Amino acid sequence: MRYFILAIAVCLHSPLAFSSDIEPRELIQQAMDHWRGLSSYSEMSMTIHRPDWERSMSMRSWTKGDKISLVRVIEPKKDAGSGTLTKDNNMWTFAPKINRIIKVPSSMMSQSWMGSDFSNKDISKSTDILDEYEHTLVETREDGQHAVYVIESVPHEDAAVVWGKEVLFIRDDFILLEQQFWDQDDVLVKTMKAREIKTLGGRTVASTIRMGKEEAPEEWTEMSVQDIEFDISNPDSLFTLSSLRNPRR
Amino acid sequence: MKNRLPLKAMLTLAWRNLWRNYRRTLIMLAAITVGVWAMIFMTALMRGMVDDMLLNGIRSLPGEVQIHHPQYRDDPSINNSFEEPTEKLLDALQIPEVKGWAKRVRVPAVISSERDSRGITLLGVNPTNEIQLSFDLKNIIEGRFLEDQQDRGLVIGAKLAQRLETRLGKRVVVMSQDPQNNIVDQGFRIVGIYKARLPGLEEIYVYSGLETVQKLLKLEQNISEIAITGEDYRNVQHWYPRIKEAAGEQLETVPWYKADTYLGSMLKMMDGFVLVWIVVIFLALSFGLVNTLMMAVYERIREIGLMQALGMRPGMILYQILLESFLLIVIGLCLGNMIAVSTIIPLRDGIDISAVSQGMEMMGSSSMLYPALQLNDVLLANAVVIVLGLLTSLFPAWQAASYDPIEALGKE
Repeated sequence: MRYFILAIAVCLHSPLAFSSDIEPRELIQQAMDHWRGLSSYSEMSMTIHRPDWERSMSMRSWTKGDKISLVRVIEPKKDAGSGTLTKDNNMWTFAPKINRIIKVPSSMMSQSWMGSDFSNKDISKSTDILDEYEHTLVETREDGQHAVYVIESVPHEDAAVVWGKEVLFIRDDFILLEQQFWDQDDVLVKTMKAREIKTLGGRTVASTIRMGKEEAPEEWTEMSVQDIEFDISNPDSLFTLSSLRNPRR
Repeated sequence: MKNRLPLKAMLTLAWRNLWRNYRRTLIMLAAITVGVWAMIFMTALMRGMVDDMLLNGIRSLPGEVQIHHPQYRDDPSINNSFEEPTEKLLDALQIPEVKGWAKRVRVPAVISSERDSRGITLLGVNPTNEIQLSFDLKNIIEGRFLEDQQDRGLVIGAKLAQRLETRLGKRVVVMSQDPQNNIVDQGFRIVGIYKARLPGLEEIYVYSGLETVQKLLKLEQNISEIAITGEDYRNVQHWYPRIKEAAGEQLETVPWYKADTYLGSMLKMMDGFVLVWIVVIFLALSFGLVNTLMMAVYERIREIGLMQALGMRPGMILYQILLESFLLIVIGLCLGNMIAVSTIIPLRDGIDISAVSQGMEMMGSSSMLYPALQLNDVLLANAVVIVLGLLTSLFPAWQAASYDPIEALGKE
């Protein structure tokens, strides 16, 4: 009997409980919330790989809600202190060497963020996918004990998105396994893929994510999370320009 | 005046003298003809080239007369926009000299496709006005031009499409800033691709509907500029002050030659250049002319002596030689003008110089050269040849007139 109750409890708790009636937009929302929490603090490292060189940097990041985040570089020394603040689609960067905060102008939004394969836009607008796309569940796959939902998201006509479609692979425990960016001729351009899944901060999350272009398989950027805490209280004062310039934590 | 021969007799004499040595005269005629042809033809080509540069320049200025916010020309940002034209200005734009005018939003923006992104100038336009003003529908090589102010499509240049690795019917994203410096962006579908006379412009100008762009940039009814064209860019100074007055002090109204002083001085420089060119060709010609006349005089020393002995005054002899030279020049001019005009007319539709188009593009002119025959230039060439021609003929004529009859008759 105990097992039975347990089983029901598991069922109720399990994401599988809604698998019969999956709302794709809801699923993406859940995956985003799962990754971000209401607020979070994380320590991560980023590796930029090119055929002839590779470099890593480690950084800390704070988020609050969908639209506010602060990232600060800790290592290597020559980049330490530089950071990025994003707030409602606007973005500022701080470079300690010149002691200046620069608001990233629209002309630079599609350029690379800190030399990586992520664009500034990827960093600042990652939740836009919810509202600016039309989502359809195309397939449910089995992956061991988990179900993986394949969602095709096609941007609205006016959406500020260059992609023809994005394909998201979301596991039933809300882990975004893979995000594919397709151009308008249905050619795969770049892929963001979870390479390692770990339990961190009490949640199972994709701890290593790699972004790479299809055309250049030897060029990629890997973000790997060492530590993450969810639902902590990040004060609003943390996400200000003065805090970007003068780190208080 | 009993010693004066009637003009008719003088003409007959001059005419016959000309054809005494017909070979020499023909060669001289050929030289004058070719010289005059070169003056007129080359001038027309140069005029055509400069006209083309000016028109292209004025078109991208963006008009013969332009109205802007006073700071716009220094800082073409969205903040330097102004409100819709007032009644007074609208009235002033009705004057007959104004052929077309258009209001535009014109801001720097970034366009991105899946593969690349580029800086551009985004133009929010009213397509009907734009066509009146300068946009040629023949330039659209694929798709269509915008249909109205609300058109949500995008018309981009062929070169830009190639750089972005995109094409007709695909979506691209345009990003810019609103007056509060917030980033605004929107997806647009490419509905048309145009080819500009200058490929450089294809990469810069991207057109969309005026209202669409105003909405994207949160500009409400504001615009960045009013561009105005008239019949002829050379006559702008006659009518532009009226527009300037109507536009008022708080807006800046400038004609093209002030907006771009380089283009403005180009026109004046060209006038000077044409004169120099004509005079240089004439100098080459004049040696031949003097030589021909000197030979003619030299051959006829005895004859001139005889005429003087018979009572012809030196002045008459001077007159006689000048008349010969005048006949020679006039025949040469007639032939030269005829040949020049008949070579320019078949080339009216342009000479394809695309083989050197890259170089020409750097100069700001396009790969088709349209010769521009101007009456003024033709008159100038003819006047220079006649006046300077007669002046140079004075020397041999004066020499002939100053012979001593006895000495001349004694020459073998």
